[in-house]
Parts: sequence; structure tokens; C-alpha cells
Amino acid sequence: MNQRIRHLTVALIALFGILFVQLTNWQVLQRDTLVADARNNRITVREFDKMRGAIVTADGTVIAATEPIDPANRPNSRFQFQRVYPTKDLYANISGYYTLGFGSTQLERTHNDVLAGTTAQQQLESTGGLFSKEDLSGTVQLTLNNDIQKAAKRALGNREGSVVVMDPITGAVLAMYSNPTFDPNDVVTQTGSVGQTLTALQEDPRKPLLANAYQERYMPGSTFKIVTTTAGLETKVIDLMSVFKNSRSWTPPNTKKPIRNYGKKVCGGDLAEVFRRSCNIPFAQTAVNVGPVAMVDATTRFGFDEKVPFDLPGAAASTFGGTAEDFTDSLALLAIHGFGQGQVQVTPLHMAMITSSVANAGVMMKPFVVQQTLTHNRNVIRRTNPEAWKTTMSATTAATMTQLMIGVAQSGTAACCLQLNGGISVAAKTGTAQLNPEGEKQRSHAWITAFAPAQAPRYAISVFIKGVNDAVSASTGGRLAGPIAKQVLDVALALPPSK
Amino acid sequence: MQQQPQALQPPFDNTLSRARRSVELGLVLLAGIITASAYVLASLGERASMPARIVPFMVFVLSLLVVTHVVVRFVARGADPLLLPTAALLHGLGYVMIARLSDHWAGLQATWSLVGVAAFALTLFFVERPSDLQNYQYTSLALGLGLLLLPMVPGIGFTSGGARIWVSIGPINFQPGEFAKILLAIFFASYLGQHRTQIARGDKKILGYTLPALEHLAPILLAWAVSVVVMVGEKDLGSSLLFFTLFVVMLWIATERTSFLVVGVGLFAGGAFIAYKLFAHVQTRVDIWLNPWDQYTGPGYQPIQGLFALANGGMGGTGLGLGDPAAIPAAHNDFIFAALGEELGLLGTTAVLAAFVLLVGAGMRTALRAQKDFDKLLATGLTTILAVQTFIIIGGVLRVVPLTGVTLPFMSYGGSSLVSNYVLLALLVRISDTTARGLYEVPDEASPSERFAAWRTRKAEAK
Repeated sequence: MNQRIRHLTVALIALFGILFVQLTNWQVLQRDTLVADARNNRITVREFDKMRGAIVTADGTVIAATEPIDPANRPNSRFQFQRVYPTKDLYANISGYYTLGFGSTQLERTHNDVLAGTTAQQQLESTGGLFSKEDLSGTVQLTLNNDIQKAAKRALGNREGSVVVMDPITGAVLAMYSNPTFDPNDVVTQTGSVGQTLTALQEDPRKPLLANAYQERYMPGSTFKIVTTTAGLETKVIDLMSVFKNSRSWTPPNTKKPIRNYGKKVCGGDLAEVFRRSCNIPFAQTAVNVGPVAMVDATTRFGFDEKVPFDLPGAAASTFGGTAEDFTDSLALLAIHGFGQGQVQVTPLHMAMITSSVANAGVMMKPFVVQQTLTHNRNVIRRTNPEAWKTTMSATTAATMTQLMIGVAQSGTAACCLQLNGGISVAAKTGTAQLNPEGEKQRSHAWITAFAPAQAPRYAISVFIKGVNDAVSASTGGRLAGPIAKQVLDVALALPPSK
Repeated sequence: MQQQPQALQPPFDNTLSRARRSVELGLVLLAGIITASAYVLASLGERASMPARIVPFMVFVLSLLVVTHVVVRFVARGADPLLLPTAALLHGLGYVMIARLSDHWAGLQATWSLVGVAAFALTLFFVERPSDLQNYQYTSLALGLGLLLLPMVPGIGFTSGGARIWVSIGPINFQPGEFAKILLAIFFASYLGQHRTQIARGDKKILGYTLPALEHLAPILLAWAVSVVVMVGEKDLGSSLLFFTLFVVMLWIATERTSFLVVGVGLFAGGAFIAYKLFAHVQTRVDIWLNPWDQYTGPGYQPIQGLFALANGGMGGTGLGLGDPAAIPAAHNDFIFAALGEELGLLGTTAVLAAFVLLVGAGMRTALRAQKDFDKLLATGLTTILAVQTFIIIGGVLRVVPLTGVTLPFMSYGGSSLVSNYVLLALLVRISDTTARGLYEVPDEASPSERFAAWRTRKAEAK
């Protein structure tokens, strides 16, 4: 038997020899092909499945974090870490999402180096050894305040639109909520359904992935009269003593189509009155009197038709809707644009910046949401210093505009709905942007923009409600957006002032 | 055929057994050190920290190793010193990989390790001479076939991973096939040991070819037919292949007739072809084996992830704790070899293959040295099981053969597999110890039960 057993032993060892040859084939000879195979996402996964830093609000609320996966709950998980967004949809359009295979967006994308711990400073602070993965993930701290953000969401309810709250002095964004939005937790689940969920979100006609607060622009309606009035005051075409006669309609030069006031009312009076009541004709006339070149200059000083220097990607630019040449050809168009109709389009964020510049003596600050970035040792990598972007008007004009806007809140179109708790003074302008020509079924966006306290501004706000249905379209900016602005400002003003 | 012991000089000193046990202790401790180092490296790689439970872990590993060594030292002191340390090394490396993949499985595997070592010790205690097992020839056959059939019993048998090879009794789930293979090896060894000459000689001439009488071959054919048919019915192709190989190899070794080998291989080819034609699940397995890339999003995903893992490891591996072995489905089980390949590289996998070759070599040396036919055949059968099972699963992972779900001995997660392999190891240890006594290499001291019987006799006489 021994001879047979020897033969068997040789045969069995030969089997192991075959295994060794095939092992060498896979691990050495065919290695490069297999590693380069597109389906081999191991290296991507290794980059992906790491500890990743948190994104936190100014008051320390965590809006994005990475948690180790408890193997007891998910014994077969390929991943060690799970990205979570504890505030769900509240900051979705700011944090963005971080997925495997479907990319990342917003801060998750722009601040990937800090969150992953790959900036030079973070690498220098490494003390890790040869055998280990050290957690170098950094933190992104935002300017946003969770109380104001929650108030914005609550006040907006299920209406499509957005609320933007800024510090007018620094440009820090304190709240920015857009509806519709999405829950980023749904797209970081690491299951096969992520692609389907994302496709559904992309194909949703309400565009939940796009923040209407800063990635979309809308017709501003009468809120644009802030710009026209500023242009008129700066060019001395009008002043507080200007009086506009009561009229029902006015036909601009070179056209036969008359301009009417909102609701076809008779409207007129001094500048404070027509601004307060938001007559259309006086501002159409002012735009024409200022002239195409000076009007376009004024909008340029406000940052129209220019990319907004925002630290979130994909911010849309507002537009005045034409060049000086276009308006020279058609003064009627300039007249209509003068009260924010026609092709004028503004992002809600930019609207808050326009108001901020009034509150900040004519200086428009660069908006930002990232206060600072920190290493894992809590050392500052980069801190955002407030920077001026534009000078929109002189301090004198800003003071006049403040006075006019206080009038709107005290006894004008916002008087119904913007009486703040404790009688805190507020300056505002409303807007009801009529989307369809007269005679057709009415559709309108509702706007309000304001700052408070009027004399020592802490907050500038813009509230925008999209004209998607009859309930919105039947009302005005003051009645619809005013209460939302009041709710948010009341919450914000109750907070202790920051240092 | 049995060697006559030359000049009978029964040794009365333990020089050789002491030397063997010292080698074993040294190697066992080395296996323990390698396991503990790997455990620390895996934790450092994964979490950049020392393992939280390193002290209890080391105590656990070392006490298991020392206990098994002490058991061998007491009840099988002449045994081959390579068997236990090689198995311990494979077990330790497998455990580190399981622990690195999931704490959950690691906790269970630790319990099974304890049970496995207990089974090892109990087997050595109860089987004092391999020939004891010959008394249970037909019991082994009945028990083996019964265990094989158990998963087919409604109510307790269940299907997992496509094969109906599981049995659930109360809180315990196990794969009876893992134990059936040892019992059937015992039956084959015992039956063939007794009847090998008749079977080899044959007594019927058909077309000028002598065939053994059916009455001599019947029990074996029955065992073979039932096991293979049952296994195919349970869709456990890997085990069918294992049993078939075991049967053919043992028949060939026992009869020394190459024609049996040829006929066996022919039968296998025919059987495989028929199975391929008849059963859809066999076709599926072969199809995945030949074209996994076409089915990447389906059943080809696991084998391809295994290849990706091996390729990712390359020559030196990513390092323990630094790869992504969890990407392979069932990495802790059927694909543990690919997981090792990713983190330890070709160097590590070659070392693991070498350890298996060493284990198979030690088993075959035991068979070669054994003095009795039964011992020889049993050692050959058990070692063949170990080698072929290893080849089937590693070959499946490496796409040398179609992938069939069997466990990698000592390394894969799984209680039944670990416990049965420790029983198998204990039987090899026992055979090599008995051989050493028979060859007068070590004193043939009375076994504990013999001493007990002697003590009882003396006590009875004293009265």
C-alpha cells in the first residue's frame, strides 16, 4: 500500500502546485488588468470609506457627520463608516451629499479636502505610523444659526420658496432654506437604490436638488424698486421732494401699450408715498428718466449680470435682462424693468444682499456660509474674513432708502403683516411679480425683503414664494411673505446679539 | 506487508517522545505568537489602535494552545509533532481574518474554537487505539448515512446558500455532512482493511477481466451511491466530489489495483456529465466558472470580487487591516482565502498553501508509517479529505475548478467545520502515536482506561 500512498501524496501535492500556479497568475501576472478593471472599485471605496469630518452650524448643531457602522447591527456591511445628516432635509442644499459612485455636491464637494483630512496643514499635524490609518478629518463650521434656520423652515411650511437671512454688516448667511428640498440620508445609504433615488430627484419637476434660494432666479416684482429708486436718487433724477401725479395708466415713449399700477389702481404722491404704496408708474418713469446707460450702471453696481462670489457652488447670477443698447432701442422695456417686471430676474440670496447693502450704508458684502475650517486638533485652517463686494450707493442714499423702507413697514404694503414683537423697527419692501400678461390667468411670485432693527441692523431677510398655484397668486407679497418674514425675524431678534 | 519490528528493544525512556513534544510546544507557541502579532497588526491597520481586548485574547489563544499541547503530551506523547502546530497556525490566521472582518462572527468563532479544542481532547481521550474504531464499522456507516440524510428531514433540515445541508435542532444549527465524512472514512477504512484482498483478487471473470464479487463490494457501493446521490439531491456539489474522491482513492490504495482508479475516474466523468445534463444548478455552477464576467451583476459578482481582492493584494498584500476584503460576499466563509490574499499578498497565500502541504504531508507520513491496514487506510482517507476539501474550495476561489461551497479546513468561519476538522486532526494524532508505540519509538505505556481497569482488578484481588 505504501507505494500507492506515496503516489497519492505526490498527486495531492501536485494539486497544490496547480493552486500555486493559478494564484501567481491572479496575484502577479494578471494583477494590473484586474486592478485597472472599471468594476474594481476597491481603491475608490478605500478613499470613500474613511472617517470624515463633521459640518456644524455656528451654534454647534451637527448637520453632517460620519459614524462607524456597528458590526453587530450590520454584520455583512462592506463599509466601516456611514455618513449621516442628523438634521435631515434642513441643510440639504448647503451640505450637499457624499456618495460612492454618484459624486458629492455643495460643501461635501468643495470642502472635501478638509473633511477628508488631506489639506497640507492637516497632513503636517499627522502623527500616524506606517501600519495605521490615522483620523485626520477636519471640521467645517458654518455661519448658519440652527434656530433661525428651523424658524425659516417652519414659517415657510409646505409652500415652494425660500428664506434667506444674512448679517448685513459681514455678509454671513445666518439662515438659508429652500423648499422643495430632499433628505441627503436617502442618497448615502450605500444600497443599490441610491442611483434610482438620485434619478427620481433629478427628474422631479419641482427640482428639489436645486436650492431656489441661490441656484435659481425669479422675477422680483416691486422689490426691484429698491434698485430703481437708488438709481434715481444717486443720479439726482428724483429726491424725497419729488411728487408723482395720480394716474391710472402711462404710456412710455415709442409704444402704444400703457403701463398700469397693480390692481389697475389710481396711484400717486410724493416719493415716500409712491414707494410705500408701491405704485408702478412713478418707477417706470424714473427708470426712463435715469436712462438706459445709468440704469444699467446702477444694476451693475448692485452686482446684476455678474457671478455672485459665494462659497457654495452653482450660485446663479441675477440679471437686469438687457444691455444699455437694448433699452435704448426700447424705452418701454426699460420702463417695465424699472418696476421689476419683464426680463429682470433676481436670486433670493441676491435680494437679501441688495437689502443688506441698504442696511450697511451702501456696502454690499460677499455672502458666505463657511465661518472657518478646523483640523482634528481644532486648529484653524482657514477663517472667512468679511469682505466688501460692491458699493451700491452712497451712505446718504442708503439713509434715504432706509427711511423709505421703514415707511413700507409702518404704513405701506407691509404694514399688515410685518409688525415685529416688542415694536422693533423694521425696513422692508414687498413684491408681487406678475408672471403672465394682463388678461391671462394670473400667476405671481410673492416677495418681501427687509432688515431689522432699522436703525442698528442685525438681520437682513428675503422671503420668496413661488407662484405655483392660485392661493399664492391671488395674494400679494406683503400679505403672503410678510408673516413669514415676521416669524423668522422675531425668532432671530430674540437671540442674544453675537459678539 | 507489515514490517516486522527489528531487534526488539522496547524503550523504557521517553527521550524521543520528549523531543517530539518539545518541538511541538515550540511550534505551537510560534503559531500563537504569529496569531497574536497578526491580530495586533490587523487592529493597528484598521483602527490605528491596539486591540481593545488584546490581553484576554492572548490569554485565550495561549491557554487553548497550551491545553491542546498538554493533552497530547499526556495521552499521545509519541505523536507527530507537526500536526497540531500546523493546524493551530491555520486556525489562528483564519481567526484573525474573521475578527478583522466582523466582531460578530469573531465572537461566535471564538466559542467554536473552544468547542473544537474540546472535541480534539475528547477524541484523544475516547479513542485510545485506532483499532477501537473498527468495532464500530457498521455503526459508522449507519451514523454517517443517517447524518447525510438528516438535512432532508422536514422540520429540522433547512437550506442556506442554495444547498440543503443544514440541520437545526433547538438553538443549534450544524452541517451534519462535516461529520459524516469522518464516519464514512472510518467505515471505508475498516471495511476495506478486512476485505481488501478479496476485492483485489476478484472472483468473477467477465470478458477476461476479474471483478470482485458483488457481495464484497455491495456495502461500499451502497455507501458511495447513497452519499453521492444524497449530496446531489441536497445540491452540495463540493461534498459530493469530496465523497467520490474519498471512495475511489481508498479503494485504489486498499486494492492496489489501478484499474479501480481508472474506472473511478471514468465513472466520475460520466456522473459529472449526467449531472450537468440533468441538474440546472450544476449547469449554473459550471457556467459561472467559465464565464463569471458575463454575470458580474449576478452570480458572477462573488468570484470576481474574490479575484479583485487577490489582485489588489498582489505580491506583498495591502497589509492586515488595510485592504477591503468585506467587499467580497461571504468573505469570512467560502472566500476567506481571497480575503487573506488581499491583505497578505502572494507571500502570505503561498505560506498558507505551504502550511496545508505540510499538514497533508504529515498526515501522509502518518499513513506511511502506520503498521495496521486499518490505521493506514484511515490516515490516508482522513488526509485525503483534508487535502481534497482544501483543493476544492481554494481551487473554486481561484477558478481552477467550479466553485462549490465547502469550507476551508481550520480557516473558514463555521462551527461544524472547525469541530469536525479537530476530530479529524485528533484521529491523525492518535494514529501516529499508536504507530510510534508499535515501532517501539516510545514506551507503550498503558492508556488511562487500561490503567483504570488494572487498578480495578488489583482492588478486586485485594479484597
